[in-house]
Amino acid sequence: MGETSLIEPALDLSIIVPLFNEEENVELMFEAIVSALIDTSYQYEIIFVDDGSRDRTAELVRTLCAQNPQLAFIRFRRNYGQTPAMAAGIDHARGKVLVTMDGDLQNDPRDIPDLVGELDDNHDLVVGWRVNRQDRLITRKIPSMIANKLIGKVTGVPIRDNGCSLKAYKASVIKKVPLYSELHRFIPAMASITGARVKQVPVRHHARQFGESKYGLGRIYRVLFDLLIVKTVTRFASRPLAGFALVALPVLVLALVVLGIIVGQAVSGDGPLVVWSAVFLQLMGLGVFLITCGAIGELVFRRSKARVHELALLTSASTTYGNPNPASGASNV
Amino acid sequence: MCDEKQTTIPALTVVIPVTERHDNLDELIREYHDALSTSVERLDYIVVLDGDYPNGRKELEDAAQAGISLEVYQMARQFGESNALSIGFEKADADLVLTLPAYRQVETDQLVKLLEAIETCDMVVARRWPRQDSLLNQWMTRIFHGVIRFITKYDFRDLGCGVRLIRGRVLAEVNLYGDQHRFLPMLAAHRGFNVREKSINQSSRESKVRVYAPTVYFRRLLDVITVFFLTRFTKKPLRFFGIVGGSLFVIGGLALAVVIIQRLVFGVNLGDRPALVIATLMVVLGAQLIALGLVGELVIFAHARNDKEYTVAERLNLD
Repeated sequence: MGETSLIEPALDLSIIVPLFNEEENVELMFEAIVSALIDTSYQYEIIFVDDGSRDRTAELVRTLCAQNPQLAFIRFRRNYGQTPAMAAGIDHARGKVLVTMDGDLQNDPRDIPDLVGELDDNHDLVVGWRVNRQDRLITRKIPSMIANKLIGKVTGVPIRDNGCSLKAYKASVIKKVPLYSELHRFIPAMASITGARVKQVPVRHHARQFGESKYGLGRIYRVLFDLLIVKTVTRFASRPLAGFALVALPVLVLALVVLGIIVGQAVSGDGPLVVWSAVFLQLMGLGVFLITCGAIGELVFRRSKARVHELALLTSASTTYGNPNPASGASNV
Repeated sequence: MCDEKQTTIPALTVVIPVTERHDNLDELIREYHDALSTSVERLDYIVVLDGDYPNGRKELEDAAQAGISLEVYQMARQFGESNALSIGFEKADADLVLTLPAYRQVETDQLVKLLEAIETCDMVVARRWPRQDSLLNQWMTRIFHGVIRFITKYDFRDLGCGVRLIRGRVLAEVNLYGDQHRFLPMLAAHRGFNVREKSINQSSRESKVRVYAPTVYFRRLLDVITVFFLTRFTKKPLRFFGIVGGSLFVIGGLALAVVIIQRLVFGVNLGDRPALVIATLMVVLGAQLIALGLVGELVIFAHARNDKEYTVAERLNLD
């Protein structure tokens, strides 16, 4: 699975669609994608990823697969969630460009050629934003507006619509990005680890025709924690000690301030030293603890494949200056 | 017994981990062999001795003399049942492995029921039923499994039973260490394998009253905590540490704000109040838990590209 990224991509385009209990949508989805691409000259594949559906989704996709060689299928043993489903599609994709989209027909495949067309030398990732979003205002649109603002502020990658699954990526970039847990909402931020440059493009959005929406309000605290994770791994993964020390510093300063109070009271000879001493010791303890956490973090990354130079995106091919061994192109002579 | 539908399995390896509690191994293996040999074409045994049991070795030699295909491994000291099993799994070459306890847990003539059940799934675990134990043990079992079910949502009713029939592909993916052998069915189900439970009669010899030391119950409690983390939070450590730490942090922070406002606005002395210490303690503890959660997340991130969190059952048009 992992080796696929080393092989030269065989196709122009891979369209990745995670499915979870989408029996009504599968066939429509497939036809919509095919007809959206019929006028283009792309050599493409469609990858349906069944995330442990309990309905007839897998059965229907198998039938489609038998008749259509451009449709590939991955079925999970059980339900793992949308991010692993996308990650599986990305791992298996054979295209130079990858597109992800929802399996519920709310994204419109007709936007795919536009999105793919926006990828160029200066853009590695094109993100759709749903202009006329067809969802409930109070429970869906307003919370996601606030979330998008917050995510933009914290991660430093301002995206209008993080919830839109319709995105196009250069395979060489997205295959490097670690995607797990529920981080698919943070793909642009996670991709920023590699230095990927993002562009936003308005896309269509349709109301749900079939099935239930699989989200609710209950995910707010999750988004907050995920945000903290993304911030930590994107900023400090390569130097965890520095990250934790940055937090420890104000704590230690505060501890010194409290120490000052203690000394002041000890000199003047009146004052309850015990309570302040307890506070001082606690703060010192926290400061030391945080720095220790950073040190453990350094251990974790010592032999990891997620070190920054492995993820970093090179924007131009290597140029050799006065190299005595000419590069492969010249040696063919 | 009741129906004559005879299932025949081409090859089966039986793995028996031997710990301190074991019956006469010669008799036991003969009994197992009598129960299984009619339904299996190629049947061999791997016995892993967890430590030095001279009598056990002698009994095993007797069994080998009787023509039973038997491999014996002995560990240099006690490493625990999980590690003994892992070694057995590594040495086993059949595509189907049956683990059996080194003492009588079930009526051996019923083992065939498992062989029948494996046809439609990846793993079959035996459930000793009806129980012959003392009432106390039965209640402890019930409470233990109730807690496990509540935490993990997996409904297994006899994790203590060492009789398990497992396909090779399950063993290739599930790693055992520490005290996890009890949770093997759960770990397999968590990887998306189809695990079934099958009731078979408990051995009448297991019926005597056993009084366990308090440490055993403590170990069970540790088991519960282990399984909680293994199934719920291995991929999302901050979800757990964050919710506990975050609540402590917020409550402590609010308490801190109250005492500071009281100091600034109402002139209540700050330095001689235990409330200040308690509030600070909560904030500090909360921050520590969140920091630990983040360290956990760094571990996950660092390994995310090495081990995939999903398991694939089927692939089409991808070659």
